[in-house]
Amino acid sequence: MGAVAAQATTEIRALAQILDELDYYNVLEITPDASASEVRAAYHRATRRFHPDGHRQIGDDMRPVLGRIAKRVAEAYSVLRDPRRRQVYDQQIRGDSARVRMPLVQAEAEAERQSRDARLGKTPNGRRYFVLAQADVARGDKVAAERNLRTALTFEPDNGVFKDLLGQLRGKR
Amino acid sequence: MATAIGIDLGTSNSCVAIARRGRVEVLENSYGEPISASVVHFGDDGTSLVGNQAKACAVQDPENTISAAKRLMGRYFFSEEVKKAKAVCSYKIVEGPNHSVRVKVREQALAVPEISALVLREMKEIADARLGQPVCQAVITVPAYFNDNQRQATRDAGRIAGLEVLRLLNEPTAAALAYGFGKGLAQRVAVYDLGGGTFDISILEIGSDVFEVLSTCGDTYLGGEDFDDRVIDLLAEEFQAQHQINLRKDRYALEKLKVAAESAKKALSADDETRIQIEGVAKTPEGAALSLERTLTRVEFAALVSDLIQRTFKVCDEALQQANLTVRDLDGVILVGGPTRLPLVREAVEQYFQREPKTDVDPDQVVAMGAAIHAAALVGEEQESRLLDVTPLSLRIGVAGGLAETIIERNTPVPIEQTSVFTTFKDFQQSVRIRVYQGESRRAEENELLGEFEFSGFKNARRGEVRIEVTFEIDTDGIVKVTARDPDTAQAASTQIHLSSGLSEEEIRGLIDKHHAPAAPSAAPGLETSGATLAAVASVAANPPALAGAPADPFDALNACAGEIEFDAEQLEAAANIPLEGPADSAFELDPAPLEIGAAAAPSGGGAGDAGEIELDGAGADDALDVLDEADLDSLAALSDDEAASAAEDSAPEATTQRRAAPAGGLFGSPDSDLSIFGDEDDEI
Repeated sequence: MGAVAAQATTEIRALAQILDELDYYNVLEITPDASASEVRAAYHRATRRFHPDGHRQIGDDMRPVLGRIAKRVAEAYSVLRDPRRRQVYDQQIRGDSARVRMPLVQAEAEAERQSRDARLGKTPNGRRYFVLAQADVARGDKVAAERNLRTALTFEPDNGVFKDLLGQLRGKR
Repeated sequence: MATAIGIDLGTSNSCVAIARRGRVEVLENSYGEPISASVVHFGDDGTSLVGNQAKACAVQDPENTISAAKRLMGRYFFSEEVKKAKAVCSYKIVEGPNHSVRVKVREQALAVPEISALVLREMKEIADARLGQPVCQAVITVPAYFNDNQRQATRDAGRIAGLEVLRLLNEPTAAALAYGFGKGLAQRVAVYDLGGGTFDISILEIGSDVFEVLSTCGDTYLGGEDFDDRVIDLLAEEFQAQHQINLRKDRYALEKLKVAAESAKKALSADDETRIQIEGVAKTPEGAALSLERTLTRVEFAALVSDLIQRTFKVCDEALQQANLTVRDLDGVILVGGPTRLPLVREAVEQYFQREPKTDVDPDQVVAMGAAIHAAALVGEEQESRLLDVTPLSLRIGVAGGLAETIIERNTPVPIEQTSVFTTFKDFQQSVRIRVYQGESRRAEENELLGEFEFSGFKNARRGEVRIEVTFEIDTDGIVKVTARDPDTAQAASTQIHLSSGLSEEEIRGLIDKHHAPAAPSAAPGLETSGATLAAVASVAANPPALAGAPADPFDALNACAGEIEFDAEQLEAAANIPLEGPADSAFELDPAPLEIGAAAAPSGGGAGDAGEIELDGAGADDALDVLDEADLDSLAALSDDEAASAAEDSAPEATTQRRAAPAGGLFGSPDSDLSIFGDEDDEI
């Protein structure tokens, strides 16, 4: 085994040992504010180092260890490349439980729920006025729609979907 | 020197290539043809002929000429595709063990991988002859949309052909590699791959040394042969109207129609119209010979197939959506597959993608070339490009109520591993039956069953108290492995799901020996090794039929076991961290009805005893309600009537659709644990 391969083996072993303490950002060696293109670049960089195809000469004892890292890299990327999932994950690692892994289906289900909440509103009143505004839009009554949207926004000032629709309406007028 | 080839094993045609000294070369057969028909003819003297010469035998000897075997690869006998094939194929398709497919030729029942192995061996021999040395390693391409069963069957075929299969590579990925290799591109491309029997679309990002698949979608029931079928239908219908003779009933006439339809299709690539002429296609009751003559114009042909072409764009829409892109985000479109030579297809592709497709690489050879480049890279002959592929289909597990919960979603990068925690469905349940599916439906039976195994030996406890960790793994070949484990008893069962080709490990070895007296060393791990595998998984609690699916590669099993021992502590910890509301959260919110069905049906299940229902931890447990926060309840209340209605609909048609799945239930010999039995009984009462 060459010196380069030996060094790679040492690196893989060391990483595998601490893998379960690393969050997805650590796994990809990026900061939590990394942009989407930085996430992708980091994934490519990590696969260059840890993809099984790049280590055909590695010993049989090391193969499952390497596989574990490669799989975790793909998992990290699956969550961080998707803005919705990433948002959910960020909330999780900031929380008390401090779990560094997140089942992909859970990330998806949670992201789905949050985007549905965002669409319809998080509060009963926000939702009610948003639905009214949508009905107004369907009828073509932009003035009423705008009024209802503004009311909805008083209950949920941060709701991006409400703001977007309001922006669209103002743009059209 | 290690020499590794790339083989495009197509439905209609196959192609072999090699990459060396920085050049990619398609290897021509002894007739100087770059592609060979994927057709095998079995002679009456026990010999077999493969390729274009075999294809020519189809008209004289249709029963013993096997074409398009790829369409049957990894399929169950009762599947739609096999039924369809039985209707149009000139050869005999029969049922083999475990609902597998066998092709009957000259009193011999051949497994589908065995036939594909003959095609692969022909490709290998072409390479042997052209390179002047025996080749034993290959990368074989598969449609990106192939499921695990089909991939396994392809890998089996490679082994039977005496090849060490370095990698199963997705066809569009191979095409992108051939297109972008060594060009130092930074592009986002779509690969539109319309083959003889399948359609795939992949969206890739090509970097200097990385090819990342962003999404892939496909239709394994759509290809150039369907175009031919439309022409055959037209000709046969017109002939019947004119002469009251159904040419489809006559094998010889049907073969002649096939040949005529295919050549008419090809002619229309260049000409605006073509003359179809079949002398003596049938005889009148009086014995007079009848001929078929007709002119087919490009416009007529377009009308026949335009809906098929439009169907491909629905799949393209899906792929773009999955990649979160629009056609405007793409830098190019690469065409793959013979049918993309049709001007009709090219024009439609250009219109859809709003740009002229790239035609600088031969659509029939580009896949083999990509496979060759990757083969060379894998044996260290060529500069390396990392191929980052995705899994085309969602991986699911069957749960109570005839449902299938997603574990790994489609278009997730591979290799990947996910662990989910499940629990028992009944008090003091002794075992669970773990069924693994691939597909996009929440209803289990609408997905492809990859395999099943039984897991027992966990603690004797009330329902919901047992924890069963199931780990799903997809490797770089797209092949699935599933492991079940009880963290409390450390009992483990593992299987590389491997049953559907209908060939057991022993049968495959037998076939390797049959076809290669001196077996290639890498292709045949000895029986002793297999014994060791079984010993290593001594704690496996699966019943014997499930064990028939012993891992194809003993190393995999050994590694898996080693891994399990090594990561015991980690897994325990991970398990402890998985919240009860977990993935079941959304299932509970959106789809409560099926749970009720399961619960109501259980007492009437009577004799089912220890039936192995499992359910998502928390999905049925009462405490799932406790952990729903206010927001959850709020949104639950906010479900519109429409949603509630569709949730109810979800559960309603179960009884009818499950009946169709009945053969799958008994597939591997354990009728007691089929969930669908409950549904059926309900229905009958």
